[in-house]
Amino acid sequence: MLELRNVSKRFSGIAAVDNVSFSARPGEVTGYLGPNGSGKSTTMKMITGLIEMSAGQILFDGKPIQDDLMAYKRSLGYVPEEPYLYTHLSGAEYLTMVAQLRNLPVRQSMERIDGMLRLFSLRDDRHASISGYSKGMRQKILLIAALMHNPQLILLDEPFSGLDVASALVLRSLIQELAARGKVVLFSSHELDTVERICSRVVILHHGKLVADDSIERLRSLMELPTLEKIFSQLAVEQDTESMARQIADLINA
Amino acid sequence: MHNLIQKLINRLPLDFRILCRQFMLRVIDLEALSIQADVTGFLGQFAGVLIMLSLVHSLVTYVGFVSMGDPQARLGFCLHMEHHLIATMMLVVGLFTVLSWDATFPDRRDVMVLSPLPVAPHTILSAKVSASAAVLGIAILTLNCASGFVVPFLVGVLHGTPWSFYQSLAAYWIAIVGASAFLYCSVLTIQGFTALLLPRRMFLRLSAILQLAAFGLFLAVYFLEPTLSSPDAMAAPENQGLLACLPSYWFFALFNQLNGTLPAGFTWLAVRAWIGFAIAICGAAASLLLCYVRTMKKTIEEPDLVPGARGLHWMPWFGGSLKTAIALFSIRSLTRSRQHRVAFSFYLAFVFGIALSLLRDELASGAASEITVGFLISTFMMMTFAVFGLRSVFALPVSLTANWVLRTTQLRSSEKYIAATRGSLLLFAAMPAWLLSAGLAFHLRPASQVAAHLAILALLGWILAELCLIGFYKVPFTCSYLPGKSNIQLVFWAFFIVCLPLAVWIAEIELDALHHALKFACMAAVFAATALGLFGFNGFRARSAVLYFEELPEEVITTLKLSA
Repeated sequence: MLELRNVSKRFSGIAAVDNVSFSARPGEVTGYLGPNGSGKSTTMKMITGLIEMSAGQILFDGKPIQDDLMAYKRSLGYVPEEPYLYTHLSGAEYLTMVAQLRNLPVRQSMERIDGMLRLFSLRDDRHASISGYSKGMRQKILLIAALMHNPQLILLDEPFSGLDVASALVLRSLIQELAARGKVVLFSSHELDTVERICSRVVILHHGKLVADDSIERLRSLMELPTLEKIFSQLAVEQDTESMARQIADLINA
Repeated sequence: MHNLIQKLINRLPLDFRILCRQFMLRVIDLEALSIQADVTGFLGQFAGVLIMLSLVHSLVTYVGFVSMGDPQARLGFCLHMEHHLIATMMLVVGLFTVLSWDATFPDRRDVMVLSPLPVAPHTILSAKVSASAAVLGIAILTLNCASGFVVPFLVGVLHGTPWSFYQSLAAYWIAIVGASAFLYCSVLTIQGFTALLLPRRMFLRLSAILQLAAFGLFLAVYFLEPTLSSPDAMAAPENQGLLACLPSYWFFALFNQLNGTLPAGFTWLAVRAWIGFAIAICGAAASLLLCYVRTMKKTIEEPDLVPGARGLHWMPWFGGSLKTAIALFSIRSLTRSRQHRVAFSFYLAFVFGIALSLLRDELASGAASEITVGFLISTFMMMTFAVFGLRSVFALPVSLTANWVLRTTQLRSSEKYIAATRGSLLLFAAMPAWLLSAGLAFHLRPASQVAAHLAILALLGWILAELCLIGFYKVPFTCSYLPGKSNIQLVFWAFFIVCLPLAVWIAEIELDALHHALKFACMAAVFAATALGLFGFNGFRARSAVLYFEELPEEVITTLKLSA
């Protein structure tokens, strides 16, 4: 289980994440939601160990991750928000490098890379430079790199970004399948329909603070709202969206 | 004056001014720099090196001039320095063209960003040409800021007439600017017509090779061209072919023609300069115009995904998965990234320059010969340039935003990463330099001395690699670069003041040691002990080291001393 206890992160004194506590359990897909700048990606980076917390504790399987960061990283698979890759490498070279950095056995890693490239329809382009890959292809490379070592904890930050419809459907099922096999899945997205379909529970962040942490069903009944979109709008959207759209159109016409 | 320039600039179209400023900033790849980098300071350091070179040239010219009593000898010396300055200027312009290889032509990013905007192609073209010309102009001014007045003054003194200084001054600057424009435009012409004649994909591949070839050519010509600036050498029949082929002598003749000091019968050489200059300017203008009309369209139509090479994809093993990952990442970054390739070529050019001159001596001598102190110094310098060169290129990042993958996959101690970096340094710098030296030592005798020297050279390579690793707790090509930390000026002068005399000293000791077994054993033991000591020191520090990916400036705490 992944557990965050009173986690905070301050940049130059300004709180990006403020005293956040929640947990993500094995067998569940936990949705992590929030508007732009709410602190979702900062939390994800703290969970991966990319940035340090200002305060609080992150535990995995009951142990603080800092106690044995390398062992923790062995069980972690991470898809970042932006598909930043070494674009001078080919897809196959990049994945092989990740497998080598993870110290995976050569034969096993080759088989997994080859199989996943085939399943993600990237096998024909595996020797092309990543600089020529579309956003969706890069996203698939990130997914393969995050999953090839069979991690116990999977962090997905906007994993559907740039994927075509077929790949998105495969990924949606894959996330559920992985959770069903006992993985801890923390999934951040702005696509509320997808979150509603695949997540068992959601955590909503607003201005760096936790505003909801419960199952979608319970939130619906507590707030007496029919959809996750309505719940999210009520909890984390401050503006009157229709009025804002009118103002933008007026500004263009002015 | 400043206001007048500002008024003139403000009269230019706004879109031209904005684009010109953007293109000028692209002289350096900003993505490679640390977020706290001072770009102006970095450029200032380069300008400082050029200004310093100009001051040194001026001083050498002045001291040489004063120390000679005979007016003929003084004129000969001034003309020799004039040629040297033209050749150096051409080398600097050559290096500039290599570093800004495709900057004048529209690249994919320009086309994709600017095509949807209402900006005419001729505005993009003129902004690019102006930006390159401005940077080139700054290079010309800084490299000649002192020598551009001292040399014409001294030549003018020899003539003795009041107007001769102004005549020499005009001749000097026309020759220098003409030589610079000739070289720059020639490269543009070749690049432009290659882009027009070849299919886009083939051109992109060939362009990288052309860039390296141009780099090697400029350095080889500068270091290997003979001195023919005296009237006797110019008049010698065996030198006529060389004079006709070397553009620096064309512009030297042009200077003399404008200055009124061109020996009789050499007008043809100055005419070559005028013709070459005209052809280069017309060729560059035509190729640029055609490129902007034709290749912009080609660039838009170019497919995003270029299929990878078919066939065998070699995956060598370097004794451990981490070592293999870092070695392959290093060699791929080095060969596929243009900036890194060019930066490493800068150091390799010195290595190959030394190797070429050794080869020339070897071919000239014909028979087997003994090891000389010159050979020892040359091999030491080759090893030093190769190892320090690769180390400095390792410090330039290839893609900072992609580094997250290395940070989230660090499952082994930093010590192992530093060991893998050591492996890459030895494999891609020390070993090739050692093999090259071994190849060049093939005709030297006795073989036992050659083997002994190669053993010392191998130990030197190891020592240099260990020196490079002190404090280098990074994965090659992944840490941001902080301009100013390397202090280019300091390194540049330290090399001439420290490294070169040190190499001469060690070479002299080694030459003596090669003839005495005991002395050699002592020397080898000292080298081995130094290497082992540094290896142990680095190993000890690596145990507590933490890999870093962002170079930060040292914090300076300013106290107000109020409590005292």
